[in-house]
Amino acid sequence: MTGAWWDDDDKLLGAIKIALEAADDVPANFVETGKASYAWHDIDADLAALTYDSASDLLAGAGTRADPATIRNLTFDASRLAIEIEIIGDVLHGQVVPPQAGEIEVRRADGPSRSLPISDVGYFTTAAPVGTFRLYCRTADDIVVQTNWITL
Amino acid sequence: MRDDPIVIALVARATEGEQVAWDEIVERFSPLVWSICRRFRLSDADAHDVGQNVWLRLVEYLPSLREPAALPGWLATTTRRECLRVQRISWQQEKQLAQPEIDLPADEETTQVDRWLIADERDSALRTAFAQLGKRCQALLAMLMRDPPEPYAKISTDLSIPVGSIGPSRARCLDQLRASPTVAALVGGAVITNGRGERHDRRMVGR
Repeated sequence: MTGAWWDDDDKLLGAIKIALEAADDVPANFVETGKASYAWHDIDADLAALTYDSASDLLAGAGTRADPATIRNLTFDASRLAIEIEIIGDVLHGQVVPPQAGEIEVRRADGPSRSLPISDVGYFTTAAPVGTFRLYCRTADDIVVQTNWITL
Repeated sequence: MRDDPIVIALVARATEGEQVAWDEIVERFSPLVWSICRRFRLSDADAHDVGQNVWLRLVEYLPSLREPAALPGWLATTTRRECLRVQRISWQQEKQLAQPEIDLPADEETTQVDRWLIADERDSALRTAFAQLGKRCQALLAMLMRDPPEPYAKISTDLSIPVGSIGPSRARCLDQLRASPTVAALVGGAVITNGRGERHDRRMVGR
C-alpha cells in the first residue's frame, strides 16, 4: 500500500467516512435477525453433523450441473445415531440408522416446527422444507440429536 | 490471526449463554457479513438469507470455537460460501447454464478474505475510536466528511466556532482519534509491541 491511511489527515478522514458508512449501510433487520438466532443456543441435544451431501459431489464434478435439484442425499452423523435424508422432488424421505422408532421435528429457522413420527424401521417422510431448517430427533430410547442447519 | 481481546471475551461470554455478548458480536460483525453480501451483489432478500444462515451456523459452532481469535476469519469464509451458494441457486433458477464466475483457487480465496478482514478490522477500530471522541469533535468531523463538502462558513455558524479554528480543531480531533487505544493498537502495533514480538508481523501487511 502507498502511504499509511492514518498518517495523513485527509486520508484518515476518508477512512473514517468509509468506516461509518459501512456500518450505516447495514439494515436494522439484518442485525436483528442475527441477534434472534441466539434463541437456538444451548439446546440440549447431540449434534448430528453433515458428513455427506450429494450436492457437493455435483459441484465438484464438471458438467454435472444440469439437474442438481432432482435428487439430493444428505447424511448426518452423531455418535449414537445417523440420519440419512433423500430429497426427491418436493418430498423428503428420511431414515434413522440404526433403525428405530421415535419422533422427528422439522425445525425451521423462521417458521413453525412440525413433528413427524419415525416408523419402527426408522423411516419418516414429509414435504421438503422451504428455507433453512434442521431436524431434531428423539428416539423411543430417548436418544436426542439434532442436525446442522441445512438449506435445500 | 485476529487477537482482539474484546472479541475473545465476547465469544467466551456468548458461549456461556449471555445474550448481551452475542448481540455485541452480531453488531460488531454485521458490517463485515453485509459488505461481503454486497460484494457478491446479492439482493436484499438473498443477503438476509445469507446473514441468517451465517449467524445460525455460528450459534452452532460457538461451543467448538477453540480459538476465538479466529472468529472474524470464520465469519468471512462462511459468509463467502453462503453467498456462493445463494448465487448458484439463482443462476439455476434463471437457467443461466453458461458457466458462471468460477470460484477462486484456495490461495486467492485466502488473500481475498484477508483483504476483507483487514478492511473490516480497520473500519471497526475507527468506528470505536470515533464513538469515543467528544461530541464536538464528532460533530465537526461529521460535517467535514460530508459530500459535497460543507463551506467553512456554515460549519462555523452551525458549531459556533471561528472559521480560523476549524483547521486546527480538525487536526486536534484527528490526533485524538489516532491516540485512541483501538486505533493505536491497530496502527502502532509494530512499534508498541516491538520487542515482545506478538503483533507486528501482521500489522505490517496494512502498510
